[in-house]
Amino acid sequence: MSILLSLFLKLSAFSLVAFGGVNALLPVLFNLAVNQEHWIDVQTFSDYFAIAQAAPGPNFMTITLIGWHIDGVVGALLATFAIAWPSSILIYFLQRFIMGMKNPMSKQVIQYSAAALAIGLVLSSAWEIALHINHSLAAYILTLGTIAITLLTRWHPLYLIAIGGALGVLGFI
Amino acid sequence: MQTLTPKQLFISFSKIGMSGFGGVLPWARRTLVERDKILTSEEFSAILGICQIVPGPNVMNLAVCVGSRFGGARGALAATLGLSLGPIAIVLCLALLYEHYSYLESVKGMLRGISAVGVGLIASTGFKMMCDELRYPAMFIVVALTIIAATVFHLGLGYVVLLVAPIAIFLARKKAQAL
Repeated sequence: MSILLSLFLKLSAFSLVAFGGVNALLPVLFNLAVNQEHWIDVQTFSDYFAIAQAAPGPNFMTITLIGWHIDGVVGALLATFAIAWPSSILIYFLQRFIMGMKNPMSKQVIQYSAAALAIGLVLSSAWEIALHINHSLAAYILTLGTIAITLLTRWHPLYLIAIGGALGVLGFI
Repeated sequence: MQTLTPKQLFISFSKIGMSGFGGVLPWARRTLVERDKILTSEEFSAILGICQIVPGPNVMNLAVCVGSRFGGARGALAATLGLSLGPIAIVLCLALLYEHYSYLESVKGMLRGISAVGVGLIASTGFKMMCDELRYPAMFIVVALTIIAATVFHLGLGYVVLLVAPIAIFLARKKAQAL
């Protein structure tokens, strides 16, 4: 099977199970791209993750970059399209259905249960990705520091990204 | 109901995409509710709630919902393209730079630093969402079960959802009755 076709099919399927958004499923993406399909290696994955974090825009840019790695601009556009189209079509039809639900109770139940599930997935995702991309004690301290600062202050994330980049350039991480 | 042309939607969502450093959702609220006044705050939260329960990139889902609501299928297409085209162009320029300079020790270090911060940002999104659950702490059982199933037992996502969803729905029903 051609690699572009497999990229398209695997990412389309990924889109339909991406509960909690792409960040909640980074470990699944990691497994798919690094371990199963060997699209990229561990180092490239974590570098692409960093670039996607530093760039403006939606957080599925890691996927755009994986596509770019496979086949340049065509791969990038194809990967982005693949991650977006199944869920977009699904929500296009589902939103009318959910908005039109007569019973506000069942709407609440759906939202509460999905929210709790999403929190669990996001936190496990952060944990597993940290295990893959943090290779030093300093990197873990930086991750924990980021969590503390974002929870306790109202700093813009961009400052934290700049600080992380600067510490890295200086050779601390 | 108010309608917007695909062009207006494209421009609004371009602004959201291009300003969304470290997560687009806060910018989406700022642009749609505060600056462009397309939605009220309650409408935004309701739509976002739906976007977060459906799989797929949340912001993309938001673009589809808002776009289709004000401009039908063409509106949805305009909003999603606006959201993604600019950022894709930028990230590909960065990818080109990466290809040329990734051998440098300082660039490698910089990316290590940024990714360590990036993981922290994802984790704090999770913790912030968890603060909303403090109103009904029993929901923490669902969060804990999801984490254990995913990280300790390494179950695939499908199994995690199948296993946790019944408990989540049971507790969510109680929560909805309690609040």
